[in-house]
Amino acid sequence: MTALPPFELIRATSLAEVVAARRSHPGCRLLAGGSDLIANLRRGLSDPPALVDITGLPGMQEIAAEANGVRIGAGVTLSRLVDDPLIRRYFPALVYAITTIAGPAHRTSATLGGNLCLDTRCIFYNQSDWWRHSNGFCLKYRGTVCHTAPTGHRCHAAYSGDTAPVLLVLGARAELGGGEGRRSIALNELFRDDGAAHLTLGSDEMLLSVWIPIDSGLVAGYEKMRFRGAIDFPLAGVAVSLRRKDDILADLRIALTGTNSRPLLVSGCEALVGRPVDAAALQQIGKLVQKQVSPMRTTLAPAQYRRRVGSALACRLTGRLFAAAAESPFSA
Amino acid sequence: MIALYEPAVGRRLPLIDGIEKVTGRAAYTADLRAQALVGRILRSPYAHAELLGVDVTAARALPGVVAVITGEDCDKPFGVLPITMNEFPLARGRVRYRGEPVAAVAAVDAETAERALALIQLKVKELPAYFSAETARAPDAVLLHDGRPGNLLREVHDEFGDVDAGFAAADIVREARYRCAEVVHGQMEPHAALAEYDTERQRLTLHSVTQVPYYVHLMLAHCLGLEESRIRVVKPFVGGGFGARVEPLNFEIIAALLARAALGTVRLDLTREETFLTHRGRPETEIRVKLGMTRQGRLTAAACEVVQRGGAYASYGVITILYAGALLHALYDIPAVKYDGYRVYTNTPPCGAMRGHGSVDARHAFECLLDAIAAELGLDPFEVRRANLLKTPMQTANGIIVNSYGLPECLARVEKASGWRQRKGHLPSGRGLGMACSHYVSGAGKPIHRTGEPHAVVELRLDFDGAVTILTGAADIGQGSSTILAQAVAEVVGADLGRLRVIAADSAVTPKDNGSYSSRVTYMVGNAAIDAARQLRDILVAGAAHRLGVQPERIERVGENFRAIGSNDDGLSFRDTAAGALAQGGSITVKGTFTVPVEYQGGKHRGGAVGSTMALSYSAQVVEVEVDIDTGMVRVEKVWVAHDCGRAINPLAVEAQVQGSVWMGMAQALGEETRYDHGLPLHVSLLNYGIPTIVESPPIEVHIVECLDPNGPFGAKEASEGSLAGFLPAVTNAVADAIGLRFCDLPLTPDRILEALARRQRDSRIAAARGAAS
Amino acid sequence: MSTILSLTLNGRPRTDLVASNLLLVDYLRDVAGLAGTKQGCDGGECGCCTVLIDDEPQHACLTLAARCGGRRVETIEGIGTPGRLSQLQRAFHEKLGAQCGFCTPGMIMAAEALLRRNRHPDEAAIRAALSGNLCRCTGYVKIIEAVRTAAEGG
Repeated sequence: MTALPPFELIRATSLAEVVAARRSHPGCRLLAGGSDLIANLRRGLSDPPALVDITGLPGMQEIAAEANGVRIGAGVTLSRLVDDPLIRRYFPALVYAITTIAGPAHRTSATLGGNLCLDTRCIFYNQSDWWRHSNGFCLKYRGTVCHTAPTGHRCHAAYSGDTAPVLLVLGARAELGGGEGRRSIALNELFRDDGAAHLTLGSDEMLLSVWIPIDSGLVAGYEKMRFRGAIDFPLAGVAVSLRRKDDILADLRIALTGTNSRPLLVSGCEALVGRPVDAAALQQIGKLVQKQVSPMRTTLAPAQYRRRVGSALACRLTGRLFAAAAESPFSA
Repeated sequence: MIALYEPAVGRRLPLIDGIEKVTGRAAYTADLRAQALVGRILRSPYAHAELLGVDVTAARALPGVVAVITGEDCDKPFGVLPITMNEFPLARGRVRYRGEPVAAVAAVDAETAERALALIQLKVKELPAYFSAETARAPDAVLLHDGRPGNLLREVHDEFGDVDAGFAAADIVREARYRCAEVVHGQMEPHAALAEYDTERQRLTLHSVTQVPYYVHLMLAHCLGLEESRIRVVKPFVGGGFGARVEPLNFEIIAALLARAALGTVRLDLTREETFLTHRGRPETEIRVKLGMTRQGRLTAAACEVVQRGGAYASYGVITILYAGALLHALYDIPAVKYDGYRVYTNTPPCGAMRGHGSVDARHAFECLLDAIAAELGLDPFEVRRANLLKTPMQTANGIIVNSYGLPECLARVEKASGWRQRKGHLPSGRGLGMACSHYVSGAGKPIHRTGEPHAVVELRLDFDGAVTILTGAADIGQGSSTILAQAVAEVVGADLGRLRVIAADSAVTPKDNGSYSSRVTYMVGNAAIDAARQLRDILVAGAAHRLGVQPERIERVGENFRAIGSNDDGLSFRDTAAGALAQGGSITVKGTFTVPVEYQGGKHRGGAVGSTMALSYSAQVVEVEVDIDTGMVRVEKVWVAHDCGRAINPLAVEAQVQGSVWMGMAQALGEETRYDHGLPLHVSLLNYGIPTIVESPPIEVHIVECLDPNGPFGAKEASEGSLAGFLPAVTNAVADAIGLRFCDLPLTPDRILEALARRQRDSRIAAARGAAS
Repeated sequence: MSTILSLTLNGRPRTDLVASNLLLVDYLRDVAGLAGTKQGCDGGECGCCTVLIDDEPQHACLTLAARCGGRRVETIEGIGTPGRLSQLQRAFHEKLGAQCGFCTPGMIMAAEALLRRNRHPDEAAIRAALSGNLCRCTGYVKIIEAVRTAAEGG
């Protein structure tokens, strides 16, 4: 028998009910699939007075073609996405990324919204209460020091969701809802580089859905590095999307997960547009990535390795996609 | 007597308790139903500290708390070896590792027990702590245990033959240093114990996950001050062991102490984290090997120094450090062998015995260096092994008798199966083949407790129902020992397996057994089972002969039936024969025993008992890898392994054991390692301690080599451990073949591979620049 | 903070009063008395507690019992008919896909979920479907063989 902390379970059926529940139960947590939250509750990483089940909200379970794109409710499970014909047809890179997440029994409950809002991770944080107590806790929860950078003033826990980088390079937008109503933002604006508060959501806001544009000229792919063939979170995960015109790169986007406290959309890629993907270009891509990622000691694998492998995977994937783009779109 | 029935030995039979496992009916310790209090353990947050006070007042006062115990409640140190019992169930006076039990609570529910733990106050004075063997051995280091200068639990210095002369006679002498990370067993079942204390009668019943119910029994009696007769120890289904449970563990004694203090029944289910903290894994080991060889590949001498970071308490440490030296012998013919071993106390959880106990890391180093020297001399690794084979029967310099030696055939089988001769050296870049050999004992020759009793006892009972009940203390932990014993008895008695029932490991019913370790059960308990079965068979044959009016030698078997030779009838059924025998005096009970003869109990030198055995298994394997030079990832494409287990009593189970051990070797070689931050273990979850998944686990092709052992049961030997050690060097040698880099540190995680590749690139750039400059 | 939970457990409807924070694994083991579902880790890392919820594999250790209302939950005890092993169970038994047996219930439930979706999986599909279930005894070789045998038999 495992003792989870006691909490009230509230089933919300509308956004207004979620807002109300959050007002009446300060510190409560939103519950979708639970594969991240319950695992964390079991380790004492949160002590909420209530869990608000948001899977029954209108639209949360929808996958629908909309405005030259596809809208996916935040409560859609990962396994459903992988099986969905629309998603399989237009976003094979997303489908592949999802198949690398955890294990099959996680993906049947885990949701797209949950994976995007996944709590950041660190070997000094994802431990039991006894463990963290023995270590004087940490900046992310109940402590004051980040053990990966004790002289600094921020938490460096790593963002580890696998879907975010793919959605970033596909140009996805996020629809948020809260007490003030709804708003739509570029997905990139959902995140900030702070391990203790990596989401920009307002205190009463939540992610409702994600919209991905359908862009037939774009090819995209994902590569994930981890030591085991399943279960593990990414040490570095790289998504690339590009457009090829004849032998020239017409568009390039690269995003990484696992290396920073947020999914990182690599800047400066436009400098490669208008050029062929040759050895020099790949070298430049490698450098761009190396410079912008900032892995810290949040995993047992060394930070330097995650930097190196993130860069190597970005080069390899770009090269592969560029070659594939000559053949047909959507092939990656 | 002539047997015509279908033999039970040599058949590919499923496990006799397999149906319970696939239906969910198998009850493991945590599954046992009981009205029990919930136990929880308070563990030290300190790596090394004087324990000045443990204040449990507030915890005791919490409603729902039934008992709180501390080191005050037991002043008897325990341990598996009588000479090194230095661990208390709950710390007294000092804590020596982070995670060491300090106090324990029994309460009405888990929530209350956990709240009570939070109310316990520790008062300590912290001491300097040592997390590596090197720092613990420093001259000014504080001693973890009194009277152990240099924080050494044991040092070993052995020399057999003239090593200096051997090296002088060599054409090539090479030396290298290897480092193997600490690894743990990771059995899927977390630790658990259920203790019932009958206060009125002052009797204790403990159900536990143990591999060694007898040793647990002894330590419960010792720590609780109870006579053994008042204790019953039962081993239910056990979810794996691999050595994690081959000694009495603190939580078992704590559960018993709690039950006594609470005047009732206490369930103590450990978390996965606590299971990791209880540890007893394979120590972090540094090995320096030196080998001398002639140009033809003949070994002239070997010297090996081993340093093990043993953790905070003795556990099996003395045995582990002795094994590492003892099993340098008995694989190859080496004229001179020198060994220096150091077992060091450190402020980390105690190491213990793990599959391939003591032999694995030293074997890895030896086989890697052998491969490197072979390459330097331009010799094929198989030929180098063949140049150094033992001529058996023989006795090694350290006193191990080798009667059966299937290594030559193992080599031939994997060389052919892997296509070594055609493929080695012709694979595309990034792909490689490597090979290595290994071996292991079939049961430690000398028992831990020298009581004078037989080393194994099996009882058989035949009663009115015609069922044969096998009573054994041997602990089946999933390796299939109960199945093997049933097959042995069925074979000898000539009884259908359906007639047999095994009752195992319940001290109230079954004869004492030393336990499931050192691959002793098939060999020793198997021999005892054969002894018992022969007696039962003889009683039945005599009964049948009497009924049929012929001499016992004139009885033959037709299936289970007994018939006079020359008659054409069906003869007497088993039931009728049994009924006739029972009529002589009722229920028939026979007892078989087995004791290792003294000449097999090891050399006369100090520590010579360790490594002694009646027979060794032999193994050779070839591993094929692909290395991704972008990520450093090593992918094992295939393993071919040949294992000499003597007679394969159950070839299906042998395959399963060999696959499991090779795979566990893979896990150690490629990924697993414990990690500590100032003694705080970072790896204590199944996410951070990366047990391989099905995705990256390779096909493992098993070739069974049956080099029959003259003393083994039906000629059988060990099958569960000997193939583990060979994987580590075989894969390391394969990686060397694939990318031209010889690694000395395990595990070969992608970061280490990538780092080495980057270093090589850097070095070659520098060399090129220098070349251009000059 | 309790909820009335009505669900179908191994084909039979049942109703219990459960606390909001009760995990499905504890409900199954301690309330329903079905101890075949095992707990091998501290949450979501080993797959030993895999059960089927509406035919899909899920971790009982990460699922709140209170959220299983109206759903079909199946455990190892519900596989096969009483007194007769299912093809999968028989294959795990006969091919020695179970050694210590502790991971076996979860492993069989994950394989059962696969075979319900895909009667004839290839080896890659078997590996993918069992990728969240750890085993420490077998090296998985005989587990793959068992699932393949069951698939071929069906």
